[in-house]
Amino acid sequence: MGKQKVLIVDDELDMRIFISTVFETSGYEVLSARDGKEGMRKAQETGPDLIILDLMMPGEGGVQMYRQLKGEEDLKAIPIIMLSGVGKKTFYHYLKMMNIKPDEAIPEPEAYIEKPPQAEDLLKVAGSVMGKNTEEEE
Amino acid sequence: MDDRRILLVDDEEDIRDILGIVLTDIGYEVLTAEDGEQALQLFREFTPPIVLTDIKMPGMDGIDLLRTLKSEAPDTEVIMITGHGDLDLAIKSLKYEATDFVTKPINDDILEIALQRAEERITMKQQLRMYTENLERLVEEKTRRLVEAERMAAVGQTAAGLAHAIKNISGGLAGGMFVLDKGIELDDDAYVQKGWKMVKGNVNKINNVALELLNFAKETSPNYRHCDPNGPAREIYDLMLPQAQEYGVRFVLDLDKDLPHVWLDPESIHRALLNLVTNALYACTDIRCTHKKTEIALVTRRPEGWAVEYQVRDTGCGMDEETRQKVFRNFFTTKGYDGTGLGLMVTKKIIDAHSGVIEVESEKGKGTAFYIRIPQRNGIQ
Repeated sequence: MGKQKVLIVDDELDMRIFISTVFETSGYEVLSARDGKEGMRKAQETGPDLIILDLMMPGEGGVQMYRQLKGEEDLKAIPIIMLSGVGKKTFYHYLKMMNIKPDEAIPEPEAYIEKPPQAEDLLKVAGSVMGKNTEEEE
Repeated sequence: MDDRRILLVDDEEDIRDILGIVLTDIGYEVLTAEDGEQALQLFREFTPPIVLTDIKMPGMDGIDLLRTLKSEAPDTEVIMITGHGDLDLAIKSLKYEATDFVTKPINDDILEIALQRAEERITMKQQLRMYTENLERLVEEKTRRLVEAERMAAVGQTAAGLAHAIKNISGGLAGGMFVLDKGIELDDDAYVQKGWKMVKGNVNKINNVALELLNFAKETSPNYRHCDPNGPAREIYDLMLPQAQEYGVRFVLDLDKDLPHVWLDPESIHRALLNLVTNALYACTDIRCTHKKTEIALVTRRPEGWAVEYQVRDTGCGMDEETRQKVFRNFFTTKGYDGTGLGLMVTKKIIDAHSGVIEVESEKGKGTAFYIRIPQRNGIQ
């Protein structure tokens, strides 16, 4: 089995470099994108094993891309780690409020990490969500 | 009351004598005049608080005198002496704010009552003035406290925003250190370079935050100088041109060469323009609008009624209505990680201190224009 692929979608260059380094130096193959549009394209092209997605990006933001990912048959099984500056509680509250309208409901992401992320947290959470996903596939 | 002077005006000598004695008896220092003209002369010279005047006199009569006195010194108490059949004149005099009137032949008791009323009114007016002054002082003091409280609230807001900015930067520093560490650990030069660049970038950011915060906290009373308003614009052009070229953004300087010298604080204006041009550059290099040719124009003009107008226009990504309304707020930023949200706020503060105006026009996808107008002022401020 080849290296596992991680797609990082974040508008901030520093954040992309940091997270890329974290995963590259831990044996992953890393792709990165600056916004949701580029992120979707790269996800469709490469079919990554994990997506790390910044929620608060200018323009459409991460939620739009998240919705699209979860709406595509080929991509919806890819585990996603959501990243943002808001606290975990606030994020889940936000998600709950969004999900009041059932037709627009979006499933909870596999994991959520508050910015700025710690390297160990990223790796630990990534390992656990990808592990879970592999188990489900088997 | 202390001032016991009274001006007595009557054309009849007898009445002047008798009333003079009565008034002196009560305790007044009496000045006398035989007609309106003389009365006015004496009044202007000595300004007695009370005037007692006959209503019917040859030449300037009592009513004319009353009106003149009231227009020159509204606080003067004027008591009218009227004949028996002069009721209409008496009423007319009250209309012109006479304190009271006494009828001839004069009853000493009635006169004394009228005088007492006059004095009470004087005392009341004095007290009222004192109260008013106290009240004004009180209002002033309360206002000062309120302003202080508002400033403290702004400081609280500032601290919260600052905490957020610092958290971002410390996150960036930690990330940079991590990448740098990996570079050293793995002996990988690319990581060392990238990590070091992140560290430097974030140190730079924290420097900017500190500088902008200092500028914000400073009570900015502009350091006015009589200077060429094109000066700061030229400085900014020279300073920012290399960066614009590096990013592939056209930067145009369009100065009105005939601008006369004006009074402004060139250093503050330099900072304000730097903030605007930096923003314009950011808007032009934003990843969401790289599809078109971008240009920044820095323009000086002299519109009617103003000393100078600076324009900073860009053809960058522009703002929507919602963003445009928030641009001058504390810690509002669209730059995410890159912005402190202080730049435009400081800019506005500088322009406010110059009693100038700053306006913004923007259209999403088209670009943004900021206008700064500085009013005329003379050197003595």
